[in-house]
Parts: sequence; C-alpha cells; structure tokens
Amino acid sequence: MLAFWKKLLSKIWEVAGSVPIRTKILGIVLGGTILLSASVIYQLWQAVTRTMQQELEARGISIARDLAARAVDPLLLNDMYSLHQLILDTQHNNPDVVYAFIQAPDGQVLVHSFEGGFPTGLMESNTVQANEHHHTVLLRTNEGLVWDVAVPIFEGKAGVARTGISTQRAEKIFLSITTQVLLTTLVVFAISLPAAAFLTFILTRPILELVEATRAVTQGDFTRRVRRWAEDEIGDLADAFNAMIAELSRMDELRREREQLRRQLLEKVIATQEDERRRIARELHDSTSQNLTSLIVGLKTLETTCDDPRIHHQASELRAVASQTLGEVHEISMRLRPRLLDDLGLSAALERQVDEWHARHRIPVDLMIHTHDNRLPEEVETAVFRIIQESLTNIARYAEAHSVSILVERRGNAIVAVIEDDGRGFDVDLVKKDRHLGLIGMQERAELLGGTLVIESAPGKGTSIYLSIPLTGGP
Amino acid sequence: MDLRKFILAALAILLGSACAPRAITEPAAYVDLSNVQPLPTLANQGIAPLRVAIAAVTSLQGTVEGYAPLLEYLSQELGRPVERIQRRTYSEINELLRSGEVDLAFVCTSSYLIGREQFGLELLVAPQVNNKVSYQANVIVRADSNYYTMEDLRGRVFAFTDPTSFTGRVYPTYLLLQMGETPQTFFRATFFVYSHDDAIHTVANGLADAASVDSLVLDFALAREPDLAGKIRVIHVSDEFGMPPVVVSPGTRPQLKAALRDVLLRMHLSLQGQVALKTLGYDRFVLVSDEAYHSARAVMALVNAAGELESP
Repeated sequence: MLAFWKKLLSKIWEVAGSVPIRTKILGIVLGGTILLSASVIYQLWQAVTRTMQQELEARGISIARDLAARAVDPLLLNDMYSLHQLILDTQHNNPDVVYAFIQAPDGQVLVHSFEGGFPTGLMESNTVQANEHHHTVLLRTNEGLVWDVAVPIFEGKAGVARTGISTQRAEKIFLSITTQVLLTTLVVFAISLPAAAFLTFILTRPILELVEATRAVTQGDFTRRVRRWAEDEIGDLADAFNAMIAELSRMDELRREREQLRRQLLEKVIATQEDERRRIARELHDSTSQNLTSLIVGLKTLETTCDDPRIHHQASELRAVASQTLGEVHEISMRLRPRLLDDLGLSAALERQVDEWHARHRIPVDLMIHTHDNRLPEEVETAVFRIIQESLTNIARYAEAHSVSILVERRGNAIVAVIEDDGRGFDVDLVKKDRHLGLIGMQERAELLGGTLVIESAPGKGTSIYLSIPLTGGP
Repeated sequence: MDLRKFILAALAILLGSACAPRAITEPAAYVDLSNVQPLPTLANQGIAPLRVAIAAVTSLQGTVEGYAPLLEYLSQELGRPVERIQRRTYSEINELLRSGEVDLAFVCTSSYLIGREQFGLELLVAPQVNNKVSYQANVIVRADSNYYTMEDLRGRVFAFTDPTSFTGRVYPTYLLLQMGETPQTFFRATFFVYSHDDAIHTVANGLADAASVDSLVLDFALAREPDLAGKIRVIHVSDEFGMPPVVVSPGTRPQLKAALRDVLLRMHLSLQGQVALKTLGYDRFVLVSDEAYHSARAVMALVNAAGELESP
C-alpha cells in the first residue's frame, strides 16, 4: 500500500518535473479551479439534497396530515365525491404531489388520484400504525424519488391518507445550481486562463532569456547581458547572472592574455631553437666540413708524396678518421636542420630523413607525400617535419614496429599527416598524464599553428597520429 | 514542521467534512407509477349489514366515538355487521329513512316530528337520561358577556345548529316569535354550525354571541370538558320536550323492528350494554309514545306557521 503511494508520488513528481513551467502554472490554475468547483458542487449536492429531502419530507407530512384532517368528515359521511374532490384539490394545490389516495381502515383504496387504475405495489409500500403521527418512506419510482407519507385518519378509525411528494423539483433546483456553478467555473476559467498565460509569460520570459544567454556564454560570447524584468527573485537572478558573466569575461580576458604570452614565448623559443640549429648546421657544413675536407685533401697529398711506409700508413689512417668525422659532422648537421628542408622543401627533406631512418633501423617505411610539389610556409614545413621526426624517434625507441606508413597530403586548405605503425601501442591518457615531453612538444607545435594533433593508440593495437595544420595564406 | 502539521490537520478536516456520512435517505423500494391495474371492486360482505344512521347532534367524529360501543353491542346481539351511516344534516338522514336506505336511526326530536308527518316515520324507543325521557333547550352565551336575557341578544350574532334541529333552531325561533320578532329582524346575523358541541365551542370561542343547544349535549360536554363551564353561561332554559328518539324506517320489517326494540330495551341488563349506554350518557332505552312529543309538536307547528322553517 505504502509502496503504491510512493510509486504514485514519484510518478506525479516525474510528470510534474518533466513538464515546462508554463504547463505547471496553467496546471495550478486549472487544477485549482476544477478542484474548487468540484468540491463546491459536491458540498452543494450534499447540502441541497439533505435540505431538500428534509424540506420535502416535512412538506409531504404537512400535506398528508392536512389531507387526513380534511378527509375525516367525507369519510364518515361516506361522501366519495367530496373525498375524490379533496384528493384532486390536494394534488392541484401542491405541484410536488405526484399522487394522493385514501385507504379504508382495512387497507382498501377508496379514492386515488391515478387514472385508469392503481399502481401495483404502491399500496403495500408504506404502512402506518393508528397511534403514529405519520410514517414516511422514500420510494424510487419511474418519476424519480418520491416521499410516500402515510397519515392515519381519525386515529386510524377512518383510514389512512397517503401522498407522494416528488423530489424532481428539488433535483431541478440542484441541477440549476450546479449549472450556475459550472458556468461560473467556466467564466473563472475564461478569466484566469489568459491571466495565468500572462503570468506564465512574465515568469518564463526572463528564464528563457537566461537560458539563451547561458548558451551564448558557453559559446564564448561574454558580451551578452540579460535584462532585469522585474523586482523579484528572478530579477535578482538576472543581476547575479550578469555579474557572473562580467567576472567570467574578465577571467577569460586574463586567460587569453596569458595564453597569448605563452604562445609568443613558445614561438620565440622554437624559432630561436630552429635558427640556432640552422646556424650550427650551416657552421658545421660550411666551416667544419670545409676544414675537414681540406684536411683530408692534405692527408691524401701527404700520402702520395711521402714514400716512407710508416708515414704513408699513418696518413692513411688519419685520412680515414677525418673522413669518418666528416661523415659524422654531416649527420649532426643533417639532424640539427637538414639543409634540404630549407633548400628543397618538405618532401625532399622527409624522403631523405626516412631513407636515413630506414638505413639505421631496418624497419620498412611507406612514405606518401601529396603536396602538389609546392613549397609550404616555412613554419608549417618545419612543424610537420619535426613532428614526423619525433614520431619516428618514438617508434624506433618504443614501438617495436614491423612497418611504418606515413602519409602527408594537402586536403583543401590544410596540410594533413598520418603516421601509423603496427607496434605495441600505449595508453594515450596514461602517457599524457606522465607529461611525456616528446608528445607534448608535438601537440604544442601543432597548436601554435592553429592545428590539431590526435594520437590514437592502445596497448597491442599500434599507434596512429593524425596531424592537421591549416594553411592560412595562399598556396 | 508545525505549519505542515497545521496544513495536514486543515486538509483532514476539510476532507472529513466533505466525506462524512450525512442523513441522506436511500430509497426503500421501487414502484412503477405508470403500471396501473384496476382496483378490485369492494368485497361484498356476505351478510347484509344493519344500516344505522346517526344524526349529527354532536360532531361527526364525536358521534363515531360515542356510538361505537352501542353499534358493537347491536352487531353482537343481532349477529350481523352494523354499518354506521352519517350525514351532515338531519334532513339528509330523513331522506335515507324515507327511502329505506337505513334500518334504524338516532334522530332529533324535530326530525321525528317531520318524518312522522311526511312519511310515517316510526318511533322505536327513546333513551332515558337521569331518569328522564325529556330534554330541554338551553340558550348559552359567553360567560364574560353581559347578556342575561333573550332581549339582551338583540342585534347580536346567533349560531344555529341544524336547520331542522328542535333545540338548535326551532325553539329559539319560537322564543323570538313569542317576542314578536324573527331571527332575521332580531339578530344581526345567524349561521349554522350543524352540531350542538360545535355550537357550544362557537359561543365559547366568541365566534357567535349566543346559541341554543340540547341540554343533554351541553351536560355531556361540560362533564367531558370541565373548562367549558367557565367559558359559557346559560341564560334561558326551556320547558321539557320529548327526548330525541330512536326511529325505524316505515319500510323496516316488523320482525327486525321487534328484534331491535328488544335488544335496545334489554341493553342495560348486560355489562357490555351498560358500558355502551354509559359512553353515551344514557341510563337505558325505554318505550315512549307519540304523546310525549306533543309539546314539541306544538312549538314546531307555531314556527312552521310563521314560515320560519322553510329557509334554512
């Protein structure tokens, strides 16, 4: 039982909670009005029925007693004509009287107001003792409820007077009262419905505006302010909301400034780093390599001009060392900043990079580049190159991959790169939490250029890195 | 918390008052008022009843009560049902007697005189009251009035009992004729109340200033309602006249007539008969001769001669 009520309550709560405020307020107004009029009608019905029944019963008794009193003489005189006239008069003078009749002391009906005969069962439906004042019985008839009143005539010596008082007029009164209450209810509806609708509008308008403003703020529009419609709680809410937006806006400004600053710093760091690498690479190439080449040439000359086998041998060894050093310097210079990137562009630099990586790690790499052979902005080329370089370093270091595929292509106004390997993969979130500098660096580089970098990986599933950088300028 | 309790209590009271069972009566039975059947004709009582008419000397209801034991006695003694027949006026009873629609009748002295003259109404017996077989007419007024003689009633309102009542109409008219007046000239207004006890009450209540009533009825009424004694006063008592008799229709069979006479005359000999006689204030029934009514007949003749009985 309790569970049922709880269930009902929760259901009501659910319904009441899920409908809009508009419906709730209208529900309150309509529900209240309906409940009120229903209870008023019910109470009226009770009161009217009760009063009418008592009233009618009393009237019936009074009419029947009057009839009984006036029937004594005609009965004693055996004056059936007067008796019948009396019955007709009684019915004529009292519109509520459905029937009237006189019973002889032995119960036989002497005169009655019916035409063509006497209803079966009516005679037996009510009896009265000679010493009783009256006896009433409520009968259900085809003409509605009827109070049947029996009154002994001349203490029962002359018979019994019976009258039937219809409740139909009382029911009509009740019906008309009910109709009036219903009409009033309708009028109240007609007035309260627009009023409730107006109230709802007043109440929900600021709320809807608040919702709209909240959406705008969510999308970053901090200029939005809501109007204070009324001097009430919702007005206070609007004020608080506006204050909140102002504060949010200030914080956002601050955050933007800091972000800007950080970006600028990062850009500067990366640019400086690249410049420094480029300078060192150039230095190594132009100066160190030249010197080493001169050294090698000198050692070769020394080799050919000196016949001393000891010196010859030593010169040969030194030349070999110098040649190796030259190679290493080349490699360092290349790693710092391949000249190809500056001189021939991304595809050439990548092809070279991949060749060297393959030569070193013996892992097949499938490289596809579709950049329409156009040079891209330098910072984009550098970023893509460095991200792919870092990826390859990571693959070599951790992935234990059997093959790698790299795709670089231009899609619309963006450059897109996809680096995939079939290595052992890793938990991206876990690694990011560890603040792996290589991954963060890749991300930062992409984001500095307004691009995105997405890493998809899971243990045993290999790794895919999707890079997309917009090209703001022309092709 | 308190507020919640209060609201709950208020709701409970509201619902309670709305739902509490009230005295709204539920119908007891169903009757189809349109389903009418012809009533059976009144059952014919196997034995023809003895039809007894009783003139409305007292009121109709008083008559029923007063004569009930007597009729019961008659029924038992004769071994047949008795039908009580009442009429508002004496002349209606006389009509029933003339046509033989009643067998036996208790009538007024004047009714007997008229009936005998008109269609040979037969005297059966007469009651004896206080050892007398005669009665008087008493003219009564309100006790607090200042009327002491008939002359004082000039220009007053007079209540007659029955148009043909001896004490109630014939005798007071006779008195006025003696004074050289008629009721129309002497009284401001007259009206009929049709029974003697009603006439007494009419005077007692002040509806009429005076009335002339049967001394037997007056004594009986005073015995039954002692209050009346303080309300009315007798200003004139007539001579003795023949007692209102018991009569039979000229058509009544001689055997029945004899049987009736026998039963009535023996009445005071049985306990039941005594009770019935006492209820009516009678000692017994006795035989009377027509001569006992001569004085009344003389009064009647005088009034008749003056033409005062024609218009009731």
